[in-house]
Amino acid sequence: MSDPILSLSDVTLTLKGNAGPVEILHGISLDVAQGQSVGLIGPSGSGKSSLLMLMGGLERATGGQVRALGHDLGALGEDALARFRRRHMGVVFQSFHLIPTMTALENVATPLELAGARDAFDRAAEELRAVGLGARMDHYPSQMSGGEQQRVALARAAAPRPDILLADEPTGNLDGANGEAIIEMLFGLRDRHGATLVLVTHARELAERCDRVVRLRDGRIDGAAA
Amino acid sequence: MSLPIAARIARRELRGGLRGFRVFLACLALGVAAIAAVGTVREGIEAGLRANGAVILGGDAQMSFTYRRASDAERDWMQANARAVSEVIDFRSMAVVGDQRALTQIKAVDDLYPLYGQVELSPPMPIDRALAGDSVVMARVLADRLGVAPGDRVRLGAKEFTLSAILLRAPDDAGAGFALGPPSIVRGAALEGTGLLSAGSLFDSDYRLALPEGADLAALQAKAERLFRDTGLRWRDARNAAPGVTRFVERMGAFLVLVGLAGLAVGGVGVSAAVRAYLDSKTEVIATLKTIGAEGRVIFAAYLMQIGVLAVLGIAIGLVLGALIPLALAPVIEAQLPLPADLGVAAGPLAQAALYGVLTALIFTLWPLSRSGQIRAAALFRDEIEHSFALPGWRVALVTLGLIAALVGAAAWLSGVAWLTYWAAGGIAGALVLLIIVAGALKWLARRAAKARALRGRTALRLALGAIGGPGGEARSVVLSLGLGLSVLAAVGQIDANLRNAIAGELPDVAPSYFIVDIQPDQVQGFLTRVNTDPGVSRVQTAPMLRGVITRINGQPAREVAGDHWVLSSDRGVTSSDRPPPGTVITDGQWWPADYDGPAQISFAQEEAQEMGLKLGDLLTVNILGRDINATITSFRVVDFSTAGIGFVMSMNPAALAGAPYTSIATIYASDAAEAPILRDLAASYPNITAIRVRDAIDRVAEVLRGLAAAITYGALATLVTGLFVLIGAAAAGERARVYEAAILKTVGAVRGQVLAYFTLRSAILGAAAGGVAVLAGGIAGWAVMTFVMEEAFVFQPGSALVIVAGGVAMTVLAGLGFALRPLSARPARVLRARE
Amino acid sequence: MLSVTDLAKSYGQGDARVALFEGVSFDVAAGEAVALTGESGSGKSTLLHLCAGLDLPDAGQVRIGGRDLAALSERGRAGLRRGQIGLVFQHFNLVPSLNAADNLAFQARLAGRHDPAHCADLMARLGLSGLGGRYPEQLSGGQQQRVAIGRALAARPGLILADEPTGNLDEATGDAVLDLLLDLVADTGAALLMVTHSERLATRLPRRLHLHSGRLG
Repeated sequence: MSDPILSLSDVTLTLKGNAGPVEILHGISLDVAQGQSVGLIGPSGSGKSSLLMLMGGLERATGGQVRALGHDLGALGEDALARFRRRHMGVVFQSFHLIPTMTALENVATPLELAGARDAFDRAAEELRAVGLGARMDHYPSQMSGGEQQRVALARAAAPRPDILLADEPTGNLDGANGEAIIEMLFGLRDRHGATLVLVTHARELAERCDRVVRLRDGRIDGAAA
Repeated sequence: MSLPIAARIARRELRGGLRGFRVFLACLALGVAAIAAVGTVREGIEAGLRANGAVILGGDAQMSFTYRRASDAERDWMQANARAVSEVIDFRSMAVVGDQRALTQIKAVDDLYPLYGQVELSPPMPIDRALAGDSVVMARVLADRLGVAPGDRVRLGAKEFTLSAILLRAPDDAGAGFALGPPSIVRGAALEGTGLLSAGSLFDSDYRLALPEGADLAALQAKAERLFRDTGLRWRDARNAAPGVTRFVERMGAFLVLVGLAGLAVGGVGVSAAVRAYLDSKTEVIATLKTIGAEGRVIFAAYLMQIGVLAVLGIAIGLVLGALIPLALAPVIEAQLPLPADLGVAAGPLAQAALYGVLTALIFTLWPLSRSGQIRAAALFRDEIEHSFALPGWRVALVTLGLIAALVGAAAWLSGVAWLTYWAAGGIAGALVLLIIVAGALKWLARRAAKARALRGRTALRLALGAIGGPGGEARSVVLSLGLGLSVLAAVGQIDANLRNAIAGELPDVAPSYFIVDIQPDQVQGFLTRVNTDPGVSRVQTAPMLRGVITRINGQPAREVAGDHWVLSSDRGVTSSDRPPPGTVITDGQWWPADYDGPAQISFAQEEAQEMGLKLGDLLTVNILGRDINATITSFRVVDFSTAGIGFVMSMNPAALAGAPYTSIATIYASDAAEAPILRDLAASYPNITAIRVRDAIDRVAEVLRGLAAAITYGALATLVTGLFVLIGAAAAGERARVYEAAILKTVGAVRGQVLAYFTLRSAILGAAAGGVAVLAGGIAGWAVMTFVMEEAFVFQPGSALVIVAGGVAMTVLAGLGFALRPLSARPARVLRARE
Repeated sequence: MLSVTDLAKSYGQGDARVALFEGVSFDVAAGEAVALTGESGSGKSTLLHLCAGLDLPDAGQVRIGGRDLAALSERGRAGLRRGQIGLVFQHFNLVPSLNAADNLAFQARLAGRHDPAHCADLMARLGLSGLGGRYPEQLSGGQQQRVAIGRALAARPGLILADEPTGNLDEATGDAVLDLLLDLVADTGAALLMVTHSERLATRLPRRLHLHSGRLG
């Protein structure tokens, strides 16, 4: 594969649990080509969310190497990782994780502002309109339904035009109709901007919408369908 | 059926631990401890005064006369009724050593002194030996000022004395009250030849009586007053040995308790926040209970029980602290006070503190508690908008108001200064309301400011303003917790600075340089010649002075007519003059003609007359030198005591006082350079006169005020410490939210410096707001006190204000940053995973 | 047991007012087990809440055992819930500071109908014997839901309302829990109204109501 945008080599992750260290990931090696969409699937406890976090630099690998866009994420400090994320990555979580004390507009504008964009708010407004929340820009997360909050989160992830989109069970807290809408928007964003998408889900149908499905079990890749 | 259920729920929830209630306990305990401590110390002082009354007074009872010694009739009565009678003559004079002159309060004692207690001298020796021959003992500060040590010679009046020892402590010090000069003691007999106590000299004669065991003080007082009241007798006895001190301690104690109540109010804010946060965490449980059919009352009772147990715990801790700390510090306290203090565990103050604690806890918990009953079961299932400002039911509101009234009423009754209590309560309530309004305004302002275009690009600032203006937010708890304490400090700062300015700044400009007293009639002319011919002297005023006690008004005992007014509390200066002195403003009535010889007339000070309820035509009986003079009030004039010039409450026509021995007093307005030579000449020619340097007197007063301000500042600091606890509690409670926010921010690309800047700015803005409001409130309070109580001009003091604002910012930033470590360092992935 | 007539409910305020459903009428007799289905957002949970007296409708009437809910005060409705209705939710909603046995007995105690023998029997049938002393955080999802079911039944209510009782459980556990629920309800002769979005589960109940476009089919 010509220069993968994401490259994991023999990555292990060990976390401190209540009863001693727990090995979450054992020797994961994985390459993701630019523009690909990858579905990460597996039973709960298989480590798929942790794998996603590693790809985003939100978690540090205990062993092995994680390379994104040519950078060795393990060699970057906390602040450098943050700067890297703001330029190249958008993350969508299952529980939305919007800042409760900011309006929708402010939430979406924040990554742009942090990156120093002068037109952060204008671009944020545009993104919100694109997900159909043009009329809710001044509302706080507590005033919105789950579906609306996730759309804001989507706009926030997409606003910096990231190279890599990471989505961790984005429809987990939403019911059928809302979930469908979010998935449509997610793939639509990817198509429009050509970003690479890594999607963690436990729903087989959803994973199979991606170009590629990677199955995880007990912290190991269980066969990788291309 | 509901109460056992409620108790069961309460018990189980309590077993879950006290986490989150540390602030609750700390706030209650601190507030209660402060009040208990103040009350315990006050009780101890009052107990000491009571137990040692006789020693402080110098006798079981004391009969005092002004201007004269006791008459034979009086002496006979005293000898007949007492075991022993000790005579002490008390007057002001100057001690001279070479060129050095110093003011001193002289006690000329007989050989029975002291009737009770011991005089402490250095080097230690019995007082009899120290006063043998023509010897004097002096307070150390006096000896130092004159540059003398035991063995040296000191001149009093026209006679030389030997300083035999330094006076460390006399047992009757506390009863003496405020004196301008440090004390000295000589034998009464030794005054012979000093020329100090001639006819008309101003002195008090105190006759201390040692009474037989079990004497009925009240009966004796009644008898003595019946016999001798109209001769100008003043009676004091061991039941209230030092009324001035007692009154001061009472007032001070009451005032400090009020400051303590302010501290409790701030603590109440913390209590309220803790309860609210606790109930927020119980929303699901409460909704569940409601869903399965538990009634609002049961739930309310359950949580009230829990809070109640915790409140009792907090109050108990406070009582223990409040009782133990004064005991632990007893040696220090007793050493500092010029009074015997009997510090122990006093039930009264502890009960009072407990009462205030219980009422405060109830007042601040009922409102948030009632919301627990209001949580709708359906809140579990729908996306409810959090934290709408729910008004309590009318029942809860009524009960809360009733409790507040009970608290204020109890405070007013127990403190004994009802008007001060109401003012203070009003002030505290007003300040709290102001702070709540400001918090709301701050939130609104912050929200608008966060959206301002100008802020785009200044991410940390925008985040901070957004956080302050957004839902939830700690604007109210920070502003309230810090605001009250800072306001009290700001008020004290403004008032203190203004008072000191007024005293040390303006007064010397208008005040005379010297106050001269005890000028004998045959010395007046020579005196005037000396000073009037001196180019350095700009003005001289003289007036004859006698001292008299107002015993009757219109035939009735004066106290019954005009109450406890200060004019009646002891002897007052009486002057006389043919014409109204230059600058006199007569507000009512008419001055007597120049050589008037009819029935005696008085011109009275207008403001005091108004306060006492006197009218033109009232007949006053004034006892001067044992003789009653009945005079009619025929005019009122304006007397301004604040310029420290000559001001007499009463002026009579000269004929009324004809034949009475008098001295003159004078005020000299002179340049600094001219002072020393004038004094030297006067002292040489007239050794009996006393010169009081007004600047020294002003300094003494300023010193006392400084002490008062310090005491009040300490009280305010206690309030601030409580506020700090609440602040820390709020910061701790907010840590979890801060960790979450930091994780999200780092995820979307914020570096740690930006997150830190955001946290810091958020705290700093809130602290500055609290400080700003405090300065405003303090300024208003300062203006009110200066204008209405002191009747002086008010000038805003920016220096003090700046310190307050800076302090507010520093405290919030420190508290906030103290809880910023975890948020900054935690890994985003962990935090967010935990929140899934 | 449960009688619903012409029920209507909307939410939101002003221009954002959305009508959930209207003209909904149905009955559930004692001993009957009825499934209530519909797409997400159709309002089936809200309908259940109205039946429990947790919320009041915009129009229409809910009668339980002949008593009109709207005619009762807040206290009256609470009393009705205590004694007449057992509720089982998707998220277990046990009281965290009470152990399993106390949680189970709680509603019965509130209603003044605590029967230790009956509670012990329920615990046994729900497979919770020996777990009575554990606190909710020490129990698995399936166990917690079984405690919740026990709580709903302990006061011998006439009506059981269940809202997605297996929604948070995996397939195998959920099926087992549902079996238990249906068995126990059948034993007591109570009426059961269960909301579910799963076709598969809905078919296991003898009768079915479907909410669609604001109307009941």
